[in-house]
Amino acid sequence: MKIKDPSKMGFSVIKGVFLTILSLLCVLPFVVIVSGSFTSNQEIIRNGFSLFPRDFTVEAYKTIFKTPEDILQAYKMNVYYTGIGTVLGLIVITLTAYVISRKEFKYRNTVSFLIYFTTIFGGGMIPWYLMYANVLNLRGTTLAIWFPALITPFLVILMRTFITGSVPDAVVESAKIDGAGHWRIFWQIVLPVLGPGLATVGLFQALGYWNDWYRSSMFSTSSKTWSLQFYLYDLVNSTQAMRQMAQYANVNTADLPTQSVKLAMSVVATGPILILYPFVQRYFVSGITVGAVKG
Amino acid sequence: MSSPISTARLAQGSDRRTDERRKLIVLGLCAILVLVLFLPFFTWIRVADQDALYSAMGLKASVIKKLTPDHSILTFLSFVETSKQGVLGFWSFLLLIVALAAIALCLLAFIRYLRRNRVAEGKGMLRTYSTFQKGMVFSFATAVGTIGLIIFANHHYGLAGFAPGISLFLVPVISLVGYAISKRLEKTERVLCREHGFIEEFRRNWILFLFLVPCFVFFLINNYLPMTGIYFAFTQFNFRDHLFASPYVGFKNFEFLVRSEILHLTQNTILYNLVFIVVGNVLQVFFAILISHVANQRLRKTSQTMIFMPYFVSYVILRVLVFNMFEYEVGLINNFLTSIDRAKVDFYNTPSYWPWIITLFYLWKNVGYGMVVYLATITGISTEYYEAAQIDGANIYQQIRYITVPLLKPTFIILLLYALGGIMKGQFELFYQLVGNNGTLFSTTDIFDTYVYRITTTQPLSMGLGTAAGLFQSLFGFIVIVLTNFLIKRKNPEYALF
Repeated sequence: MKIKDPSKMGFSVIKGVFLTILSLLCVLPFVVIVSGSFTSNQEIIRNGFSLFPRDFTVEAYKTIFKTPEDILQAYKMNVYYTGIGTVLGLIVITLTAYVISRKEFKYRNTVSFLIYFTTIFGGGMIPWYLMYANVLNLRGTTLAIWFPALITPFLVILMRTFITGSVPDAVVESAKIDGAGHWRIFWQIVLPVLGPGLATVGLFQALGYWNDWYRSSMFSTSSKTWSLQFYLYDLVNSTQAMRQMAQYANVNTADLPTQSVKLAMSVVATGPILILYPFVQRYFVSGITVGAVKG
Repeated sequence: MSSPISTARLAQGSDRRTDERRKLIVLGLCAILVLVLFLPFFTWIRVADQDALYSAMGLKASVIKKLTPDHSILTFLSFVETSKQGVLGFWSFLLLIVALAAIALCLLAFIRYLRRNRVAEGKGMLRTYSTFQKGMVFSFATAVGTIGLIIFANHHYGLAGFAPGISLFLVPVISLVGYAISKRLEKTERVLCREHGFIEEFRRNWILFLFLVPCFVFFLINNYLPMTGIYFAFTQFNFRDHLFASPYVGFKNFEFLVRSEILHLTQNTILYNLVFIVVGNVLQVFFAILISHVANQRLRKTSQTMIFMPYFVSYVILRVLVFNMFEYEVGLINNFLTSIDRAKVDFYNTPSYWPWIITLFYLWKNVGYGMVVYLATITGISTEYYEAAQIDGANIYQQIRYITVPLLKPTFIILLLYALGGIMKGQFELFYQLVGNNGTLFSTTDIFDTYVYRITTTQPLSMGLGTAAGLFQSLFGFIVIVLTNFLIKRKNPEYALF
């Protein structure tokens, strides 16, 4: 049965207008970056940025890949951090979330609170830094760059809520009566239905690692361990890196496509994680269900 | 065969009752005695060999005049401060905290005992006993730790300068007695309430404990052990001495902060966060509702993807983007202004623009994420509600107003509580990347995190100050979230976060 609703017309206008505006606003900067990366530097300096490249050129990309060692090293490190952090993090987060989702576990609320507590109270940045740098002596190692972000408390709670929502207690109970232990319940009953949850948490985890520059800035002692974003940060900031690049590429520093190189670097650095998103998106809405700390 | 119930019935015999009464009185006495012995005029640590010790410490006569020979564990830190013995600082500080915890736990046990008739059904006195036991463990630890401190200090100065007072030996004895009796009482109570203890729980669910090991190790290293570094906030930190041996200065760092930075940092941090929370949530709910009404699946997916995209941009790239837009010479905006014959604006030297710019880009990056969270809730709402409302003649605005929005309330409250928990934590990366080390803009853009980061990376000698700022930030945020959660819990326990 369809009922005519006159308010629907007006609403669909509002809907169309606002969603279009927001969508455009969200995408526009990407367009500016991409088009800028295909514009020559002189053109940018003369006429500023624009939405479409006025003279299409791949000069900036050529400059980057003329001396690919540095950027490839940063890329390699980024893939390494993202891979290890996402896989290990996902395992640990899921195990923890499973434990605090089990009703029969007496200390589940204590454990969830202790995990949540770390987000509302802590020693702060300096003791945290000194812990890794001076107590554990991890400065300059790759461990110091991926370990500190292995578990995000919020993602544990996200996962816990997802498990509670998608694995009915009755199923676990009957498996128990049939003699299955927690090990088997976890691998054979819980894990197979966690698809959307794993995809969502995995994406956030991967995103966090891919975009990290902060830990590289804190714990690196040489550019060997830099993540991609910190390499980019350094590139954006220091004219030094630019000049070095110019030397290798045999370009006069004055002609160096500084602005467009920055933009081309941005494109290169964001690409992979953006490509990942559409594959994960269909799980997204069912994967993001936020719950309370207590179970 | 004796089932738990029949044992419980036996336990209710009158003999057992008077026996339990007597034990409870002993417990109360233990708690009171421990509390009394903690009072400042009971000596824990005595300076036995004054002249030798003070000369070993290298103190001047003017300082010695201020020192008294008898100290309780609660007052020992002031001795450390006056005599400038940083070596003893961390240990005494830790003991002070443990002692305060012991006192708090004993008092809490009393309160629990007095309110025993109002406790939740089925738990009996178990919580009271467990609090009491913790209190006893902590007071025991304080006493033993103090003995350790004395041994350490004597060893450090190479002479028997410090001696233990009598209280120091009474406390562990009393604690042990109290603990043992309370364990006994707890055992019968456990049977009554059919609750099991830690050992039984471990026997049953040891695999679950095993699952928690990596998580435990992580949070221990990453969060809980660094909390001991809170002590740096009370020192004049330097790298010359051992990490925990910088001179203890009491609340000097905090005093300095209060006089200089704290007001403006707090104000900036809170204002930004409030704007982020309020405007962010309103926009997120608004667009979640709009997008949930898009019937065409492909259109819906496309716009959802587009709105979510900024979330993937790293802050470093955001920096490039903002720079390209607001730069003076070639920036997009100034470029546009020139093209319509208007004067250029020098954004990077004008602080007043930045609250707007930062808020704008925060929203740009985060509207999509929150929108999807709300969308997940909206998708979960049964269509029957809407169908029923349509039959009753409600138009689309009324449906949104009376069905969708009320059903989004729990999600909103949870997101709000999570956000309030971090109200003193700014979006560090956002602020740092957009503003960087541009000092001209600090008046409107400096928040706690950027301030502390600047100290960590550029002024290693002010690390004590930085820790103090971090501790203030942490405590303030902690109090805000605990209070809010408490209020919400009283009004509606369903919505409480913990």
